[in-house]
Amino acid sequence: MRMRTPPLVALGVVATLVLAACGSSDDGGGSGGTGSKPVKVTFIQGVAGDPFYETMACGARAAAAKDGVQLTVQGAKDWDASLQIPLLNSVIATKPDALFIAPNDAQALVQPLKQATSAGIKVILVDTTIADTSFVSSAIASDNLKGGEAAADALAKLIGEKGPVLLVGGQPGVSTAEARQKGFEDGLKKYPGITYLGNVFTGDGVAKISQLVSSQLAAHPDLAGIFALSTDQSEGANNAVKAAGKAGQVKVVGFDAGPTQVEQLKTGIVQALIAQQPAQIGADGVDQAVAAVRGQTVQKTIGTDSATITADNVAQPDVAKFLYTTTCG
Amino acid sequence: MTSPGRLDTATTAAPDPVDGGAPPPDPAAERRARLLRGLRKRWSFVVLLVLVAVFGTLRPDAFLTTFNMRSIATDASSYLVIAVGMTFVITLGGIDLSVGSVLVFSGVVSLQAMHWLGTDTWTTCLAGLAVAVLSGAAWGLVNGLVTTRGEISPLIATLGAFAAAQGLAFVLAGGQDMHDVPLTLANGIGYGSVLGIPWPVVIALGVAAIGGFAMSQTRFGRYTSAIGSNEEAARRAAINVDRHLVKVYMLSGLLSGLAGYISLARFQTTTLNGHSTDMLLAILAVVIGGTSLLGGVGTVLGTVIGVTIPSVLSSGFVILGFEAFWQQVAIGVALVIVVIVDQRNRRRAALR
Repeated sequence: MRMRTPPLVALGVVATLVLAACGSSDDGGGSGGTGSKPVKVTFIQGVAGDPFYETMACGARAAAAKDGVQLTVQGAKDWDASLQIPLLNSVIATKPDALFIAPNDAQALVQPLKQATSAGIKVILVDTTIADTSFVSSAIASDNLKGGEAAADALAKLIGEKGPVLLVGGQPGVSTAEARQKGFEDGLKKYPGITYLGNVFTGDGVAKISQLVSSQLAAHPDLAGIFALSTDQSEGANNAVKAAGKAGQVKVVGFDAGPTQVEQLKTGIVQALIAQQPAQIGADGVDQAVAAVRGQTVQKTIGTDSATITADNVAQPDVAKFLYTTTCG
Repeated sequence: MTSPGRLDTATTAAPDPVDGGAPPPDPAAERRARLLRGLRKRWSFVVLLVLVAVFGTLRPDAFLTTFNMRSIATDASSYLVIAVGMTFVITLGGIDLSVGSVLVFSGVVSLQAMHWLGTDTWTTCLAGLAVAVLSGAAWGLVNGLVTTRGEISPLIATLGAFAAAQGLAFVLAGGQDMHDVPLTLANGIGYGSVLGIPWPVVIALGVAAIGGFAMSQTRFGRYTSAIGSNEEAARRAAINVDRHLVKVYMLSGLLSGLAGYISLARFQTTTLNGHSTDMLLAILAVVIGGTSLLGGVGTVLGTVIGVTIPSVLSSGFVILGFEAFWQQVAIGVALVIVVIVDQRNRRRAALR
């Protein structure tokens, strides 16, 4: 009857491993990154594969190469706290000197990020933010309020300052989107001829967004303009307008300047784009992380500019730096 | 009704027919052969061991820490609760695609109930738990009735529930993630632990233990695998098949509701977008664990192992610094390989 139960043996091995791991657990204190040791930084994207965050990663990689920083980039496949938090926990386990993250939820991420801080990891927020920023070293983001206002101005100009307009948002609870919406709504108050129809929350996924915007086009045949809040929303709104045969008649202002949006701007489906500077945000993230690790002065908040891009100025070199890429150039 | 590859019974080590014959000429060779056969049967467990060993060797400082083990366990626990329900459904020969949506739906109505009460005590939390579990079970009842009375494939019935529950959750929540989960719940269950083990893990293991017992030792479990292996025979053996089907789908819904409640406690938000692929992960865990997709053979212990593999993989990949998309690739490949090997072993076992 000996050796009848290999799984029990294996179980024993695992138990030993786990116990050994527990026994040898360390205190998780940060090493500080002093001296010649390269600073280890991890960037956790809001969602992987998105041109905005990929461009941010490119900017971060370029800055990291310049500063001699060891940078790792990670991101979950969907935008949700329940996917980002396990990812964050794995990153905490690797004990980088600092991490910068685009948090998926303003409240859910507070506690896990505090855990990172207590493990000795400097935390920097990029793009989105959280409810309690008392413990973070720095928060870097586009000035989304101003971006929203710029969108209101651009859209008003395109539609002759009159007619009903619609906001196509992603999902609520995203701090950047809320700021853009507020900026847009405030900006519209300057134009009494414009009726604001409100915000359509669409979630993510171009097909679904396109479908929802199509229904809005059917409900409001006199619709004059759409402001699409984010990458997917721009694409979805564009598809719907095109499918309804209203390309050019309904003016669309997009936020962000990914390759697809720029292409659509050039072909006249979108009339203006409000672009952020993700590469700059990524580079700032690395710089602030290094400063925080080395104990140098950090900027508690950094707001980066946005630009209004139209078909007329898209080719100009000073505007080109605002365009997003999915491959680091 | 023998069940090859079954892991959850204490009597699993009963001698193979081959071993029961004449004394082997070479005890050492026989022992090796037997060990090999045992390992093959527990393929998924070996995969898990190898993964832990590989990641642990490459980055012992990061992977083999209490913190990381706890993170992996917590991550896996959220899938384990729904995967236990899924084990019963698949053993029955059915499928439940609605689990992720029901999880979200139950979280939303549970949080709304707790907001409606407006208090922040353990009584509030218990009321929330009751609402979560009951609303989950209600979806299970719908799934069960639509499948049995409507006489349609569970694939369609639960796919419908998947879409409907998701949509209703969004409607009820106003399209946005709700917050302000009672602090008693968040701090007590979400961040709380017993003897260093997080509450979500304790609850999930409790569910798995009860599920494992029910599957192997009770009439409920016997009926489940009986119906899964031959529905007509079960019917002739005077088992009320339809009623049992409804019960099993209700169990799956109930556990999804419980998982939604735990998710509320862990994330303090309704995580509207995070569970669209939960059913795939649960099915994957169940199948990797050794439960047959064809029904009839179910093992809850296997599911516990199956649910750990994707969590270990994603944690290990992040720690090694792989790009996020490779994790999905690896998990997909792992599923297919495990199932291929498992089926081959089953066929070989059937031939013996």
